[in-house]
Amino acid sequence: MIRFVLSRLLQSLVALAILSVVVFILARATGDPLQLILPMSATPEDYAEARRYLGLDRPYLAQYLSFVGHAVTGDFGMSLRARRPVSELIRERLPNSLSLAAFAMSVSLAIAFPLGVLAAVKKGTGVDRAAQVIAVLGQSLPTFWVAIVLVEFVAGRLQWLPAAGNEGFSSYILPGFTLGWFVVAGMMRLLRSAMLEVLDSEYVKLARVKGVVEGKVVWVHALKNALIPVITFAGIYFAILVTTAIVVETVFAWPGIGRLAYEGISSRDFPVIQAVVLTTAAIVAVVNLGVDCLYAVIDPRIRYAR
Amino acid sequence: MRRLSRGVAVSLLALVLAVPAIAGQAWAQAKPDLTIALSSFSTETLDPALGGHLVKYYLSMMFDYLVGTTLDGQPSKDGGIATRWENSPDYKRWTFYLRKGVKFHNGDDVTSEDVKFSIMRNIGPRSTTGYAGPLRTLIQTIETPAPDRVVIVTKDPTLIIPTYLSRSLSTEGMVLPKKYIEQVGDDVFARKPVGSGPYKFVEQVTGSHIKLTAVDNHWRIGTPKYKNMIFRLVPEETTRLALLRRGDVDVADVSRERVKELEKESFPVHFRREESILTMWWILGPDGLPAPMKDKRVREAMNLAIDRAEVAQSVFAGKADPAAVPLGLSWSFKDIGFKVTPEMAYPYDPARAKKLLADAGFAAGFPLDVYAYQLPGLPEGKTFAEAVSGYWEKVGIKIKLVPVDYPAFRKNWVDRKTPGSVGYFNIANRDWIGTYALLEKMAYTPAKANDTVNDPEVDGMIAQVMRQTDKEKINTLMRNIYTRIRSEHSGMPIVYLHSAYATGKKLGKWNTGSVMYDLFFDELASGK
Repeated sequence: MIRFVLSRLLQSLVALAILSVVVFILARATGDPLQLILPMSATPEDYAEARRYLGLDRPYLAQYLSFVGHAVTGDFGMSLRARRPVSELIRERLPNSLSLAAFAMSVSLAIAFPLGVLAAVKKGTGVDRAAQVIAVLGQSLPTFWVAIVLVEFVAGRLQWLPAAGNEGFSSYILPGFTLGWFVVAGMMRLLRSAMLEVLDSEYVKLARVKGVVEGKVVWVHALKNALIPVITFAGIYFAILVTTAIVVETVFAWPGIGRLAYEGISSRDFPVIQAVVLTTAAIVAVVNLGVDCLYAVIDPRIRYAR
Repeated sequence: MRRLSRGVAVSLLALVLAVPAIAGQAWAQAKPDLTIALSSFSTETLDPALGGHLVKYYLSMMFDYLVGTTLDGQPSKDGGIATRWENSPDYKRWTFYLRKGVKFHNGDDVTSEDVKFSIMRNIGPRSTTGYAGPLRTLIQTIETPAPDRVVIVTKDPTLIIPTYLSRSLSTEGMVLPKKYIEQVGDDVFARKPVGSGPYKFVEQVTGSHIKLTAVDNHWRIGTPKYKNMIFRLVPEETTRLALLRRGDVDVADVSRERVKELEKESFPVHFRREESILTMWWILGPDGLPAPMKDKRVREAMNLAIDRAEVAQSVFAGKADPAAVPLGLSWSFKDIGFKVTPEMAYPYDPARAKKLLADAGFAAGFPLDVYAYQLPGLPEGKTFAEAVSGYWEKVGIKIKLVPVDYPAFRKNWVDRKTPGSVGYFNIANRDWIGTYALLEKMAYTPAKANDTVNDPEVDGMIAQVMRQTDKEKINTLMRNIYTRIRSEHSGMPIVYLHSAYATGKKLGKWNTGSVMYDLFFDELASGK
């Protein structure tokens, strides 16, 4: 098991190293940040001075080595736009993204689990069809549209819930639901198909023949074995929720890492872009590693096969 | 199994019903705050030296300027640290007499040493403010003969010093605490700024909000009406309006197209009339304007081909007015005595435009690249570019729309990579000195990179303004510059844009003034 974890860890580190080169090059390909930072009246001397002050006049290799050298210690340099340490900005924003993703995932699980199981158990009935409709809506309604509708009606017109910001539990509900809604559909469909397969298996039939209560057959014996693909899905989606919630964070004015990335990209803030990409990549790598380990624990055949 | 599914359904229903009740309790609180929701905070910086005019609206609550400004942009002896100022006969020494008894939020006195330190820091090499360059070139030294007296010595005679260090332009004139900054350093100051304004810094969460709290009593506004002033960054307009409807915010910037809807709901909407001029220009080549724009008839034709009234109505929801003078910053017109006559207005005359093009040898038109991009305060940017391109196509010009973001266009513009192609900007309106500063950037050949005019006659007049200390002569020069730019069609003025700010129904009167990038929130909070 240790060997398995170490090999996965090594793979993740190699991926991060490659990514650091790619993001370093791509960030600079977006254009010159000084065009946005300096006023229209800036002279060529002002540009040269700012370039020197911000360290942008050094050769690319020197800039890259300096970036990597500091990044391994958690120092991502200064934001060109906000002129604050990038690590400080990440520390400010990342917890907001993590907590929102956790809330959204809880919402998804709370809705997808009962619906997915019921849709499988009651295959072909009204419940199944209703679940299918929810799945289709979840995957087809654009997140931006769902967010705007919720803000306009639930927050603005009905005034049931806050429209924006992060000021307590109630602030999580609308962005959390919007973010989780998309995941519900996928997770429910996955759970339904996994349950259908398991419910048709010999050991479930045997349990029923032996007179085990139907609820126990479904929620204990069948569900446990249908969970493996769902855990993988949930793990990957948790990482995705943390890192790609730009739309939801923008609509709900949620100060998360997705918007930090957007602000960094739109202002050509290289240090912020680099830091956000590497941080989110690290999150994805850690979550994937966690899922792989969990997978290997649940199904030992996977571990031995590698 | 049926019991099981019923149980699940009941639980889900209970969850859905419980949510609004829990949430409603948490948010039903009274607010002693003035909360302002804005679509952008620009750089979000708290340090005036890194700020510039785009962040004035919150920095001017925390800091005092050396020279105050009236709501209509005139230097004021009541609104700044300087209670009076005078110049030497040769206009090279400007003496400022400082207000006594003013303290920074940490208790330190505001002295002439602080003023000297602030100016030198705000125009220093780290500065990214709007007018640091000209001040750096102009100021020779700053003397502090007494704690309440500062003398600014310039290399050349000038009239601009009081205005450049006032609230009417950028942040160079903001007074900072020397002792505190020297003690804690630039980085700490940028995170925990200390000023002497009516509100002091409490916290900043980047991407979310900036919170300020009132001092007990301030010479500018008396006892502030609101204990806290909170600036919330809310990029999405639907969300800003929802916050306004809920009473969570008191002020929100709104797009022109949503104004009617808000007025129907009886929300007061305050307009900053002619807050900016939307103007278009051709990118110059190494030798000035390339063909075919080199021909005055082509420039006039392109102006005549645009139906400005329709653009104002259909693209900007009627919250704009046609403009007649390229780079014509109308808030300065009163100062310099310039009048836009009816003859100056460009009529919509595609027939004459076609004739002019034919006379210039372009009866079959010519290819033209038009850059299309959004800008802060101009969400209609791309629609606008498409609309204007449509008018030009009608007179035979073969348009290629190039979707980019503004920095990419700006790089092309200043590098002169695509001569003759067209871009635009919503240039903030401003007083005469600000206008002069803009002309010196965008209409003056020696400014090189940013020049859009390339006219030796205009260059000569701009150079004379720099050396002139007689205000009447300056006014004449400024009027002549505008007359020349208009008669040569040196650019394409399109419309003046009116910007809208909606407020809560109980907020009361608010004069948003006519100072560049300043919304005078301290007027709303004034207890005087």
